[in-house]
Amino acid sequence: MSLLRGGTCRWTAALALTLLLSGCGTLSPALRPGDGLPQQAYAGAPFFAQEIHHCGPSALAGALGASGVTTTPDALAPQVYLPGREGSLQLELVAAARGAGRIAYVLDPALEDALREVAAGRPVLVLQNLGLSWYPRWHYALLVGYDLEARSVTLHSGTERDYVTALATFDRTWARAGRWALVIPAPGTLPATARELPYIAAAAALERSDPVAAEAAYDTALVRWPASLPARLGLGNARYARGDLAGAEAAFSAAARAHPDAAVAHNNHAHVLARLGRRAEAQAAARRAVELAGDSLPEARRTLDEIKGLGARD
Amino acid sequence: MNMQRVICGVLALSLAGGTIHVPLAQAALVGTEQVVAATAGAQAADEARQRLAALLARDDVAAALQGHGVDAAQARARVDSLSDAEVQQLAGQIDQLPAGGDVLGIAVFVFLVLLFTDIMGYTDIFPFVKKTAR
Repeated sequence: MSLLRGGTCRWTAALALTLLLSGCGTLSPALRPGDGLPQQAYAGAPFFAQEIHHCGPSALAGALGASGVTTTPDALAPQVYLPGREGSLQLELVAAARGAGRIAYVLDPALEDALREVAAGRPVLVLQNLGLSWYPRWHYALLVGYDLEARSVTLHSGTERDYVTALATFDRTWARAGRWALVIPAPGTLPATARELPYIAAAAALERSDPVAAEAAYDTALVRWPASLPARLGLGNARYARGDLAGAEAAFSAAARAHPDAAVAHNNHAHVLARLGRRAEAQAAARRAVELAGDSLPEARRTLDEIKGLGARD
Repeated sequence: MNMQRVICGVLALSLAGGTIHVPLAQAALVGTEQVVAATAGAQAADEARQRLAALLARDDVAAALQGHGVDAAQARARVDSLSDAEVQQLAGQIDQLPAGGDVLGIAVFVFLVLLFTDIMGYTDIFPFVKKTAR
């Protein structure tokens, strides 16, 4: 018994020493105001004190509230809480945000990006490992503010509203969770740090459950990236998914005009033209798609075959 | 002979009519997720195999959620709200992935270590600890 206790003690001491010497991971980058970042910012978000193990639903309810969705942790818990793990998984938070008809956008893992979102008035849902790599304490919180002068951040965390902690400490606990950060932009707005493809991918994931919201997201994307082929195709696909064939035709037609070498645009245009009964145009578009794609887009040949099949049965 | 032709004709008509009114196969429309994957330079995987893998992964994840105490209907709804890519990330990983919960249930010696590291600003377990990190 005494041997065991001695061992534990020595082990603990050795560990503490190792931690001291190793400096415990990365140091936070030297962020300065003036890189386009205001010196301090605060993004308003509803605060929900978490009940035991329910930091996921609480943080998500706050982020959704800030984007205009009225909800509560109790309403979200059945969608995200995993009793067997006494917590919530990141991907389930993402899916639940979409379930509320919102884009769930995962930021690049960079402190500056998270602060930029806060500066743009958007709270950031973060995963932290508040413990150590060998003793993880996974925790979700809502980053709502920062102060570069005071080197601090403000979080809605657990049962603490506006909990202020050192920027360096926050960054260490956040880095230990892979600097995972999620924003839920209000409809018609883009995350300040959004990149084209990840944003379109986030909208595409919304298409299945909420094509109306996805369509709005593609519209927003096209304002920022007017030349985006994926955004134009997404717009057509979302309209098609909610049964607006004329609107889908208009979007695919615009895509084919703006990107005449994109086989996908011609293929989808052909498909919708056929649905609209405009067979001659459909066949021409399908032929163009096959010419452009060759064997690299099997859908193109299938579309052409189907349209030919329609003609043959007349 | 005549009768046979009539039956054939009726059958052919009904078949043709049936096909014309059935919407074109969804497969011919290229989905946005596929466009994004292709634009991002992802390898164009075999579509049919991909779809089957996603389907199997959905069953796997739904079963795992149930195994962790989510009721059957809720587990199905939760799996349905995941994209194909997400469901494949979760499959077989539900026990390993971080699950954000909270900070309770810490043994005494760990408490002391974490108190120390909290004071040093390496960790952030206890809100009452004034952090020294700057």
